[in-house]
Amino acid sequence: MLASGHLTNYLLLLLKGLAITLELSLGSLVLGSLGGIVLGAMRSSGWRALKATALIYIEAVRSIPFVILLFFVFFAVPLALEVDVPPYPAAIAALSVHCSAYMGEVVRSGIESIPKGQWEAAASLGLSYYRIMRHIILPQALRVMIPPTIGVYVSTIKESSLASIIGFVELLGQGMAIREANSLRNTADVLIAVAFGYFVICFSLSQVGRYFEHRTTRDMRLAPEPTRGVIARPLVSGRPETQAAP
Amino acid sequence: MIGLLTVGLSDLNLRVLIPYFPVLGWGALRTLEISALAIALSFPLGLVGALMRLSDNRFARSIATVYVETVRNIPLLVVLYILFLVLPLYGIPINALTAGVLGLAINSTAFTIEIFRAGFVAIPPGQYEAARSLGLHRLQILRLAIVPQVFRIVLPTLGNQIVSVVLGSAQASIIGVGELTYETQSIGSSTFRYFEVFTIAALFYIACVQVISLLWRFLTGRAAHAPLGT
Repeated sequence: MLASGHLTNYLLLLLKGLAITLELSLGSLVLGSLGGIVLGAMRSSGWRALKATALIYIEAVRSIPFVILLFFVFFAVPLALEVDVPPYPAAIAALSVHCSAYMGEVVRSGIESIPKGQWEAAASLGLSYYRIMRHIILPQALRVMIPPTIGVYVSTIKESSLASIIGFVELLGQGMAIREANSLRNTADVLIAVAFGYFVICFSLSQVGRYFEHRTTRDMRLAPEPTRGVIARPLVSGRPETQAAP
Repeated sequence: MIGLLTVGLSDLNLRVLIPYFPVLGWGALRTLEISALAIALSFPLGLVGALMRLSDNRFARSIATVYVETVRNIPLLVVLYILFLVLPLYGIPINALTAGVLGLAINSTAFTIEIFRAGFVAIPPGQYEAARSLGLHRLQILRLAIVPQVFRIVLPTLGNQIVSVVLGSAQASIIGVGELTYETQSIGSSTFRYFEVFTIAALFYIACVQVISLLWRFLTGRAAHAPLGT
């Protein structure tokens, strides 16, 4: 299918679209992570009002299809505020809101994975909530958060394909434009190439995520080793003796 | 944000939308219908796919793995476009509704395979050995001993999958399936009441997702909390 040749002329355009897709979703991931850290900290704080606000925000955003969110930002907000919202800010705003809700959950579970003793030890040193969070909890939680964050990035890349609907030209938008403007309307080439682009990026990122996940679980399994080592030592040192005896 | 709320609310006029409520209602039903069809297709296929992924047959295993990895890493919208725009080029006529349901099912099957696979992996090997020592053959082991336990493990995750199919079904509007998002957008463009109509749609989806989660938890609660064999 791809051998039909026209596509090579447009490969550069598609690669550019791919770069824009990555940029759009990375920007949204960064903005969404900032929101997610705030939301996650709110969720794990002791103040009930903060907790409830964050919970309602996260639940609401996660219960609305991304298309609705995107259309809301692109169609409803400009009408309500009487401002012009171009596709790029609309897409990045909607993706960031979407992303922040998911990152909020990632941050919360990251924070909750840190044993309570860490909080108590830090508090007994007289550190404030902010300093405990900033210097003790978040640096440790960050490691646990890497694999799910990559997961959120992958799904943000996939969701970002919807930005093509509001006329933003990223990978899928580029592909559809090429398809419409040229004699490629009656072939599968462009769409297959677009799908392949998404696949390569998302698959590689998932593999990276899997590697980090593997490393985290391995490190956690290694953590209690000192006790195992103590128990195992007599057995190991005992074996040569029994072998030497006969 | 406050500006958004005050301008939006002072201008909020739901009365204009009253004549459109039946259309929205039908759209909502269509949303539930295509989601239900996609789920009905993808859950059994997901179970079969998971068995393939875990089988000793290398051929079956690689087909299932390639399927999962491919579909999970391609946006749903691209799958929908390929079905709706490309299949007719090869002489396979397909309407928007069929393409929408199929696309959702294809996407959901990949995720369901992984859900069931995780369930099978979580069953302790002793369960297989015990069932085999009772003289059951392979199908019986699966049907009588393993699958019932797998279901208990995966039920909560399957609930999440139902929710994500309902949310994903909004994307079917883009290829022209007349479900809630489609009707919302067409009402918006004819009345210019985007703010109100999208708010209603968002509230419907939120209510729908919450009801599904609650209902699912209620229906499966006892099964999910029953003790498992070790």
